[in-house]
Amino acid sequence: MTPEDSQMLSRVTRRREIAPGLVTLRFLNPKVAHTTVAGQFVNVLPKVGFLDPMLRRPFSVYNIDGDEAEIIIQAHGRGTNILTETREGDMLDVLGPLGNPWNTASGDFKTAVLLIGGVGVASMQLLTRTLVSSDVPVQTFYGARSKTLFALDGLTNLHLSTDDGSEGFHGSNIALLRSQLEEGSIASPKLFVCGPTGMMRAAKALAAEFKIPCELSLETEMACGIGICQGCPVVTDDETFNTTGKRFRLVCMEGPSFAAERIVI
Amino acid sequence: MSQSSKNISTVAPDLRSRIGNVEFKNPVLVASGTFGYGAEAKDYCDIEQLGGIVTKSVSWKPRVGNHPHRIVETPSGMLNSIGLANVGVHTFVKEKLPYLAKFDTKIIANIAASSMEEYRDVLELIEQNAVENLAGYEINVSCPNVKDGGLSFGTSVERTEELTALLRQSTDRLLIIKLTPNVTSVAPFAQACERAGADAISLINTVVGMAVDIYNREPRLSTVTGGVSGPAVKPIALAKVYDARKASAIPIIGIGGIITAEDAVEFLIVGSSVIQVGTANFVHPDAGVRVAKGLEEFLRAQGIAHVTELVNSLKVRAELKAAGW
Repeated sequence: MTPEDSQMLSRVTRRREIAPGLVTLRFLNPKVAHTTVAGQFVNVLPKVGFLDPMLRRPFSVYNIDGDEAEIIIQAHGRGTNILTETREGDMLDVLGPLGNPWNTASGDFKTAVLLIGGVGVASMQLLTRTLVSSDVPVQTFYGARSKTLFALDGLTNLHLSTDDGSEGFHGSNIALLRSQLEEGSIASPKLFVCGPTGMMRAAKALAAEFKIPCELSLETEMACGIGICQGCPVVTDDETFNTTGKRFRLVCMEGPSFAAERIVI
Repeated sequence: MSQSSKNISTVAPDLRSRIGNVEFKNPVLVASGTFGYGAEAKDYCDIEQLGGIVTKSVSWKPRVGNHPHRIVETPSGMLNSIGLANVGVHTFVKEKLPYLAKFDTKIIANIAASSMEEYRDVLELIEQNAVENLAGYEINVSCPNVKDGGLSFGTSVERTEELTALLRQSTDRLLIIKLTPNVTSVAPFAQACERAGADAISLINTVVGMAVDIYNREPRLSTVTGGVSGPAVKPIALAKVYDARKASAIPIIGIGGIITAEDAVEFLIVGSSVIQVGTANFVHPDAGVRVAKGLEEFLRAQGIAHVTELVNSLKVRAELKAAGW
């Protein structure tokens, strides 16, 4: 199998290091650039031709511009460590776009509240663009460990928080959002959430407490990304379980975003 | 067609391969559980360039599969514990088989069950709803990831033989028994399948393995152990195929970590009549087509007219054979 056989190969045109271990890769891929809708993902090989690690890694599409698309990668394991070392001019093997967009047309909100933890920012730039172009008001609650770890491009109406207090609110973005929900200062909000599992769990509880709609974008262990391996399910907690016995939903085919009340997290 | 001659690189090599009375357009099939029921990969793979498709295991009733986590990446491979998640045989014959009938390639229906009767009932329902390109059945007696599954058959020579003989009565199509590597020797299983009238054996299914999260000291799979697949298991698979080949004359379908055409050639040389590409499909949904094309290039470059010339062509010195190697 030679790399030339693949129709998924995409040349990296720009590499940016936003912070130590946090890198964006821009690559030429007209299919991904022209067809991706905010919330969809691509499945990317750590390195073309490598057998170890061999599986693709899923990344939300971070940005699109002309014929180019961009992903944002946080080095946190063997595959992502290799990917962050990709150089401009290298080839990426990209499968996608995959999965489903954020549900921005649910009609049950006036203000979109983007709740972001760390590299969960990955799908939020495109989501912001979609919402702003539809004249939907956006408020963004973005938390990171420290001020150097923010990727702020294309976001709007920012409320920043940091674990170490180096920027914005000292504490969690959940606490910051809670105070605003208690004030009632956000008109008819819906939460669009992506971040660490603990934060998503807290977001789900917060949404239930304030009785507001909430959508979570999930990441799970995933192999194929196209519904074949059946490896990436989440546990459902909704009416379909009782009526169909369907206990699991594949993140790749039915997600990656789900209404919070429908899943167990 | 079967005559070998060197320096014929202008003539397209003949990839046609045969098991029993079934001819495959090439010896590259895709393995059960790595290609769904065909539709999932159709946007990424020219299905008609495959020798055949072995469909995801079906049981009598649908199965939802195991609780997450179901997969973990491991060195040069992966661990899975899917738990035979499948649509059930009724949906299979109503929706999946008619869809697969549209493609010019062979279909082999993989069956998983927890009793002799269930295996037979599933096979007979498919047989009653057979489509023209249904070449036969692969019987999964080797899934390591369900408590009530076929492995209780696959680790007993007697039960493997009994099941094979029973199913043989229900079909004239290919009957293929898929063997587990998780036994001391596959040789008696190959012999039992041959005695009971199977047309072929396929091996290997996954190798039992596990992985541990060292920070919270929990198994990384919900079922603690799972099945290892991918390039990591290829040497194991080749040795099992060799073991079966020495013990029996039954045709063999080689499976285990095949990524490239060169991997496939190894399995053919050791004694496989056809091969299956499995985990590679999770990385490249067209992996089988890539292997088939690569195989044609290999034959051309080596001046080999017919792929069957490779089958069972391993050269082992006589004194080694005599010594039992």
